Amino acid sequence: MLAASVLAVLAVTGPDKLTGKWETKPSPKGNVTGVVFKEDQSFDGYVNKKPFTSGNYQLQDSIFELTDNGCNGEPGKYRIIFFSNNDSFRLQPIDDPCEERKNGMSKLVMGRVK
Amino acid sequence: MRKWCIVLPAVLLVFIQASLTGNAPKDKVALGRRLFFDPILSRDKTINCGSCHQPAYAFADTLAVSRGVKKRKGKRNTPSVMNITGLPYFFWDGRSATLEEQALAPIANPDEMDLPVHLAVQRLNANKNYKAWFRDIFHSEATANNLAQAIAAFERTLETSNSAFDDWKMNNNTNAVSEAAKRGFVLFGKKGKCTQCHFGADFTQHQFKNIGLFNGKDLNDSGRMSISGNAADIGKFKTPGLRNIAVTAPYMHNGMFNTLAEVIEFYNDPDKRIPHSINRDTVLLKPLGLTNDEKKDLEAFLLSLTDQQFLQKK
Repeated sequence: MLAASVLAVLAVTGPDKLTGKWETKPSPKGNVTGVVFKEDQSFDGYVNKKPFTSGNYQLQDSIFELTDNGCNGEPGKYRIIFFSNNDSFRLQPIDDPCEERKNGMSKLVMGRVK
Repeated sequence: MRKWCIVLPAVLLVFIQASLTGNAPKDKVALGRRLFFDPILSRDKTINCGSCHQPAYAFADTLAVSRGVKKRKGKRNTPSVMNITGLPYFFWDGRSATLEEQALAPIANPDEMDLPVHLAVQRLNANKNYKAWFRDIFHSEATANNLAQAIAAFERTLETSNSAFDDWKMNNNTNAVSEAAKRGFVLFGKKGKCTQCHFGADFTQHQFKNIGLFNGKDLNDSGRMSISGNAADIGKFKTPGLRNIAVTAPYMHNGMFNTLAEVIEFYNDPDKRIPHSINRDTVLLKPLGLTNDEKKDLEAFLLSLTDQQFLQKK
């Protein structure tokens, strides 16, 4: 029973294609948005090296789901599209009741920071 | 002896000129910094921008409302001019669309520096040093436009991102903040509902909100409505950022709260402090129901947003 529980936890934690640091290119105003995805499926987001948001995510195939500390704790569901040898991604909204987040996430194109 | 009488003043003159040249601002930012702290921009030359925007208090001050020339009392609390690069508008009521526009307004405001901008420009052009510096940096004499550009350029350098919270999140340093601050950050986004307005790199969404500090009687600053003319904006003010908030007391547009604990107490149950407010935002219609420990945790989180430069000075 214990072994099954450990396996279940391992199945949803650990590194995935997102684990690590990702950033956008500078916007016309010079803003750089970044996210650090961690192995425990949590993340921290920042703009111009100023962190302000944290949350948890799940990545299953091309489906990315998140909750963060904005948007009243409501989850958002997106299709994630990796490109450039999985070194870049963008997101297409599937279901997110939080309009501001949806607008922001839909515009993001992020590249892995090496 | 006579020879020394001639040589000594000459050497002194060279020394003074060299020291002036050494202090000459090299770019817009340095010129803006000099202007920011120079009383030449106030009518009676007694105050400067830094009189109210004091570096030790994150470029705010410690008064509910600041004093201008001849000790004239201002109308609203002096906001910090740190972390303002991303702002879409300026002043509590958002009356200025650009930082350059904002930079000139306090110079001309009769309750602040009380010097019409054209007179400020005349003064700068009559000053040998400023005349030369503007010529070197802007390739023209001082104008309202380049005066604003210089001050704004300096203000844009006042960004901070070196707080304990930043260290925790950017460097994954879990020891950078207390457990109370970590709990406070969670409360900030959930039970405290703070992120509904204070969300973003500087913990603001740059919106105008009525938090319940307008009752049409003793609290009668109509805020954004005085600019927009829209009745729905009555009592709304720009949501300020929260970086360095611990060093910018007192709080709110009128400086009515002296401590962060008072602010949290107010948000927890606005009716308790201001029972008949008008047009309060729906987010604040019901009490938050924070426990005393939760209030302390929220405060601990807010304290963690203080940049190291202010902690080292204490």
